Amino acid sequence: MASASVAAPAETGKDLLFDASARTRWRLGFDRVAGWLLPVLFLVAIVPILDLVYYIASQALPTLSWAVLTNTNPHDPYALGVPIISTVYVMLWATAVAVALGLFGGVATAEFLSERAAGWMRMSANLLVGTPSVVIGYFGYFALVLGLGWGYSFIAGATTLAFFMTPYIFRVTDLAYSSIPRPIREAALGSGARPYQYILKVAAPIALPQILNGVFLAVAIGVGETAPIVLTSTHSVLVPQTLYSPVSFLTAEIWLNFSQPPGQALALAFQAAFVVLVVVVALNIVVRIISARYQKRLEGLYQ
Amino acid sequence: MNALTSSGNGGPVLSAQHLTIQSKQKKILDDLSLDFPAASLTAVVGPSGCGKTTFIRSLNRMVELTPGLSIRGSVIYLGQDIYDPSVNPVMVRRRIGMVFQRPTVFPTTVFENAAFGLRLVHEDIETIEKSVEEALQRSGLWEEVKDDLDRPALSLSGGQQQRLCIARALAIKPRVLLLDEPTSALDPAATQRVEATMQRLKEDFVLVLVTHNVGQAARVSDKVAFLHSGHLIEVGPTADILERPREALTQQFITGRFQ
Ligand SMILES: Nc1ncnc2c1ncn2[C@@H]1O[C@H](COP(=O)(O)OP(=O)(O)OP(=O)(O)O)[C@@H](O)[C@H]1O
Ligand SMILES: [Mg+2]
Repeated sequence: MASASVAAPAETGKDLLFDASARTRWRLGFDRVAGWLLPVLFLVAIVPILDLVYYIASQALPTLSWAVLTNTNPHDPYALGVPIISTVYVMLWATAVAVALGLFGGVATAEFLSERAAGWMRMSANLLVGTPSVVIGYFGYFALVLGLGWGYSFIAGATTLAFFMTPYIFRVTDLAYSSIPRPIREAALGSGARPYQYILKVAAPIALPQILNGVFLAVAIGVGETAPIVLTSTHSVLVPQTLYSPVSFLTAEIWLNFSQPPGQALALAFQAAFVVLVVVVALNIVVRIISARYQKRLEGLYQ
Repeated sequence: MNALTSSGNGGPVLSAQHLTIQSKQKKILDDLSLDFPAASLTAVVGPSGCGKTTFIRSLNRMVELTPGLSIRGSVIYLGQDIYDPSVNPVMVRRRIGMVFQRPTVFPTTVFENAAFGLRLVHEDIETIEKSVEEALQRSGLWEEVKDDLDRPALSLSGGQQQRLCIARALAIKPRVLLLDEPTSALDPAATQRVEATMQRLKEDFVLVLVTHNVGQAARVSDKVAFLHSGHLIEVGPTADILERPREALTQQFITGRFQ
């Protein structure tokens, strides 16, 4: 700018269009550097991930078979049937509890609580998201295993995992409801909708895809966690028969077996890791698909 | 004012009485009283920030959705103070509808938008279909959408969306319709159609129109109220106010000397 004002009298198009001050030149240079630096950084980030995926796949696939995945024989320690079914049960319970708590809290925070109370809720959720899962695991141990006397059990493990997942669902629900345009809210209430009618009939269809996304992400994060389960439940060779039975879990299987010397146990750890990896990737793809659809449907709403 | 005078023939359908609205910082409306008789369109005009939106939102208790405002005075609808603690604001808003500055259609079909209020009160489907058609006729949108009521409402033009919002408000058969600068986001052609709609509607409804456009007030209103920094400066028949204003402030406003 400064150099332009003291510029020579005969200005060409180039003088007018290109600001040649030192700062601008520096900025342009930076742009150029950033232009190739970003792909490099991307590679730096993606290569270890791909390497990890390749490593797990190469260790797991040679021994992985349909039989291993579906074998539920309790006398066969090198099968994944029981952990897989148990993991599905645990995730169903944990997701149901987390969705109930997260939806309720999120809607209440976005729609009903005072600004101050909502602020506290959001801060707590952010804090919980940042809390290491071991801490949540110990909380579950003291509150559920000991406190409520549930013992090392399916219900203690799955509920602790629910506590771990809840803040993610809470946050996405709160955000989905809070980001519905104010005019839409006022139009609904101005047409004589009761608050619950607004929440269910107008806001829910807009917010639901976003919330569903959050739920899938929370499931993906939850299924990859170990501490909340291994601190609140013990290994079992059976699919849980009651709420208070011990339960196995895919990541617990990894945790138990990966320090073994090369052999069937170590292979089992890699097989379990591979299954978890596939599930997490699949969930993320589902999230992508929902997001894309959702954006199309709401085009024009947030103009 | 008692029930006899206000709900009898000729009395105002809606009447704001000594309305004072305050935020923490200042008085937004100061002791404002104004009557809205049956089958009339009253234009509320005034410079930006004078309190028009706050005023019109106080007429169906929408103003309560903004936290931090204190409201004194009363708004009498057919003899009943809508701010009486026994009155449910949801019921108030079903009798006194509202249309906003920007079209606020919901991301669903044209039909479901128009049927929104009826679904809330669980009407049967024949009644809903009949009322939706009637409301779309009244809002002047029927001819344009009748062949495809299931298209997404967001695919309509801005002007069509605004008339759909009018239809949505009309479908539950309110007595009063509040319009807060309903054409300020529309182009001239769409504005003209909305104005034509308002002119038809005022035969059967009490219309309150907030506008910063003196020309629009002249074209559609029977009565003009001029607001300035929270005070009602003057009110009277449209021609009187726009051609022979008594107050200097009004004069300045209609000659465009301040915005
Ligand atoms: N929630 C609020 N809290 C504090 N002050 C407010 C609030 N809402 C409105 N005001 C103030 O009250 C005054 C009137 O606002 P209002 O929106 O009613 O004006 P308006 O006449 O509709 O203006 P415009 O023509 O720009 O729409 C403004 O000075 C505004 O800053
Ligand atoms: Mg306004």
